[in-house]
Amino acid sequence: MKEPAKTFGELLERHEREIFAYALRLTGRRDDADDLYQETFLAAFRGWPPPRRDHERAWLYKIATNKAIDRDRRRRPAVSVDDLRLAAPDRDGVTLIDLASAIRELPAGQRAAFVMRTVEGRPYREVAVALECSEEAARTRVSEATKKVRAALR
Amino acid sequence: MNTGSAELVADARERLIDRARREQLVTIGYSVLDSPLGPLWTAVGPRGVATIAYGQEPDARELRRLVAVFGPGIVPDRKRTDELARELDQYFAGTRREFDVAADLTGLTPFYRAILRATARVPYGEVTTYAAVAKRAGNERASRAAGGALSSNPIPIVVPCHRVVATNGSLGGYAGGLDAKRRLLELERGEAPEGGWPSRRGQERAERRA
Repeated sequence: MKEPAKTFGELLERHEREIFAYALRLTGRRDDADDLYQETFLAAFRGWPPPRRDHERAWLYKIATNKAIDRDRRRRPAVSVDDLRLAAPDRDGVTLIDLASAIRELPAGQRAAFVMRTVEGRPYREVAVALECSEEAARTRVSEATKKVRAALR
Repeated sequence: MNTGSAELVADARERLIDRARREQLVTIGYSVLDSPLGPLWTAVGPRGVATIAYGQEPDARELRRLVAVFGPGIVPDRKRTDELARELDQYFAGTRREFDVAADLTGLTPFYRAILRATARVPYGEVTTYAAVAKRAGNERASRAAGGALSSNPIPIVVPCHRVVATNGSLGGYAGGLDAKRRLLELERGEAPEGGWPSRRGQERAERRA
């Protein structure tokens, strides 16, 4: 693996797009995603240096997830239809709006696990690091979340 | 991600950089500018221009130097390099003979700084030798060391090391390649194409690796 980022700029260039996409999927709103992206990288800059390169992305996901959970505690997000088109993946027979509102209804920890694993296809190892739990707990959260989303879409 | 979301990221990044700057987490802003000599990676620090590197990015040694001197708060920020971009455009268009932007030589050894300052005093359109620069920097016999210092000049063009040539009249060396050195000297002798080289405004390519 390559070295960890040496500058804030390197960190941004490597990861900002996927962190922004993650923030968009987690929050479902452009403004909130914008804030979450900024808070995530500001926290990363304050917490410099990043861990070794292998864990750099998981580190950012962890920060983003914790920030999202904090934000969630402060308020429940409202979803704008425009932003959902950017946030949600395509699924046969299910509208993006249905899926995104089902995701939105999940508790914060399950939502993060579901988005990382099911929407973004991250390995459980990374999901576990981001959520600061065991891989087994990450699997449980994803499976609980999947059940709920399926039920909501039925 | 599609183009629309790339723009969203760019907007979010601009606000992030502003906030990081207000929190004093940021020391250097950089961007990649287009020039008639190809892309230039430029970095502006608290006291002025810290780096102009030929190419899309600085080499590993220059990046290590920047981090050692300025810390990790080195971010893409076109606003910081705007003034330099404007002056470089004017220089390449033949309408500017001296740079007003300050050079930030923080962290360089006194000998390097003396050599770079002596080089900065060589007038537009003239050439001098490594030996003469060494003499001006206070050490007549250090012409080889002067050549060494200029070969790692962090701010070429603004500190005009292209105006320094070998005593035997050959061009010597240049970080941007001898062709670039030759073209800069032609430009300053008024031998560039009518109206100067085509001026292309700097374009940030900081997202190139993303």
